[in-house]
Amino acid sequence: MTDKNVVLDVQNLKLYFRTESGPVQAVDDVSFQLKAGHTLAVVGESGCGKSSLAKAILRLLPRNVSEYTGKIEFDGVDIMQYSDEEYRRKIRWHQIAQVPQASMNSLNPVIRIEDQLIEPLLIHDKMTKQQARTRVAEVFEVVGLPVDFLQRYPFELSGGMRQRAIIAMALASNPKLVVLDEPSSALDLLSQANLMNVLKRVKNEINTTFILITHDIGTASELADEVAVMYAGKMVEYASAQYFYTDAHHPYSQKLMASVPTLREDKELGFIPGQPPSLINPPTGCRFAARCEKKFEKCSMEPPTTDMGHGATVQCWLFEETGEVKNA
Amino acid sequence: MPSLAKPLSQQQEQRAVLRVEDLHTWFEVRRMGFFKAGDVRALDGVSFELYAGETISIVGESGCGKSTLAKTILGINHITKGSVHFDGEDLSSLDKEGWKRYRSNIGYIQQDPYGALPPFMSVKRILEEPMIINGIRDKDEQQRRIRQVLEEVKLAPIEDFLPKFPHMLSGGQQQRLVIARAMILEPKMLIADEPVSMLDASVRIEILQLLQALQRKHNLAIIYITHDLSTVRYFSERIFTMYGGKIIEKSSTQALLKEPLHPYTKALFEATSDPDVQNLYSYKDIPSGEPPSLMNPPKGCRFHPRCRQIIKGLCDQQMPPEFWVREDHAATCWLYKDK
Repeated sequence: MTDKNVVLDVQNLKLYFRTESGPVQAVDDVSFQLKAGHTLAVVGESGCGKSSLAKAILRLLPRNVSEYTGKIEFDGVDIMQYSDEEYRRKIRWHQIAQVPQASMNSLNPVIRIEDQLIEPLLIHDKMTKQQARTRVAEVFEVVGLPVDFLQRYPFELSGGMRQRAIIAMALASNPKLVVLDEPSSALDLLSQANLMNVLKRVKNEINTTFILITHDIGTASELADEVAVMYAGKMVEYASAQYFYTDAHHPYSQKLMASVPTLREDKELGFIPGQPPSLINPPTGCRFAARCEKKFEKCSMEPPTTDMGHGATVQCWLFEETGEVKNA
Repeated sequence: MPSLAKPLSQQQEQRAVLRVEDLHTWFEVRRMGFFKAGDVRALDGVSFELYAGETISIVGESGCGKSTLAKTILGINHITKGSVHFDGEDLSSLDKEGWKRYRSNIGYIQQDPYGALPPFMSVKRILEEPMIINGIRDKDEQQRRIRQVLEEVKLAPIEDFLPKFPHMLSGGQQQRLVIARAMILEPKMLIADEPVSMLDASVRIEILQLLQALQRKHNLAIIYITHDLSTVRYFSERIFTMYGGKIIEKSSTQALLKEPLHPYTKALFEATSDPDVQNLYSYKDIPSGEPPSLMNPPKGCRFHPRCRQIIKGLCDQQMPPEFWVREDHAATCWLYKDK
């Protein structure tokens, strides 16, 4: 598929970490495509590999990587071919920015906000100080912060404001893609809702492409056009938000949706007994099989990725016949 | 049993396990270690009653005083003004033995299960500790209780879990162990301070349903403290909203879900996202600003600087009293003064 609108095309991405007891398969054979201006929400429980996926895309790798393979095509260029130095100069912050987890606490407390925000612009975009200041003031308005707050120190801002300042920093160099790793989970309810408003406005007005990594399926629906569900290093389902929220296919996605309490309607809540498997020696076949009610003989074999139409894919033997098998 | 937010009959009043009256907890702030600079009014006049077999959810954002309330009831914080009665006994009148007895009657479930469990103690030791402290020395009785609580929290097979250390358990299992420890002295009341906010979505419901099952079996009174409005409808009979050290809305769950009254509770409702694809197409209407400083709380209603429905000259001057709009629904807000 060569679609001009596709900003990010990830194929068979693997990221394994080396440990004493064997390789941890944190991201195992993940493939997806993301269109410009769209937001992909990556959801899953802790330890399912969603943050590792973000690290793999941004190539922010720890030292104990044992395998890092696959194809990441960004804007038509295979960026896996870049050397680390090339990647740093051409891609990171410049084209793909990120907002890491709890990043509101990563601002330097003794430097004014403005001086911190202009830094990537001076380094990556070779702007003059004056240009950088103007640009930063622009993005500050986009995220809904008063421009004079640029002269303040981080401790003079509330948590929600600091988080918005970090998002302004990520947006300043006009990246094509922004990876948000749990952007709102450290915030209070009202600041969280406020931040989602800001991100939604950025998305609608500047048409930024986002990858939103979160465990909160309710909040993800505020921003997501597409939803990817990860389980034990695998992307078990990928679908447009419209289909995912009304009719998720994978048994794990269904269970996960059933476990989300809702405020506005009464529903029968469920939970998933058991725990996710260890990623060091994951079971062969479907990794969810041990906790799945719909398990049958075939589940001991690796499930194929099935195309369910509308660009949705699911990795489950149940849909082998209903959908169109992509790669068995 | 449908419970009402207001104590109605004598009978109900007698059955109240916990009665909190006009409770204040202020923390003194000193300047240069000597001069008094003021007080942080973390809890500023809170009153309610809790009955056996019911759950009250206390909802609010960080800094609203909900954890201070829990700790004051537990006796970790001192009481500045007001009183707490447990089973008809005033906490301020308790001696050392009385405190010990009182504390063995309340179980406390912390937010972070890993932080709450000593890493160098095995499951068995963790469960024995409260019994040793409270004078249950009989080995058979200890065994019996350990087996019973572990069965109740579904940590089975029991023999496999007894020698394990906290780090060998998953987050959900750790939290179940914390609950088991809270239950081992057979308390009458549980205080659960954000018991599931550190856990994954798929385990949260399991833990909350476990608490509910324990409540039914032992007729426990539970105070469930949370910032997550979406879980409260499933697990409580009454919901209190706190803001700036005060309870600003008291209601039965049904009444609150039908129509929240206080503008702040309305904002909390608006801010909670249900998984719904329609969310993508609308913005939320959220009040701007931050919660007030508890050292210098604003005059009048503490929410008035952020409130869109402010009545000038009233809300910014006088603290509103509790208005009972319906039999089971009260709001501390001037908007309801004629109702």
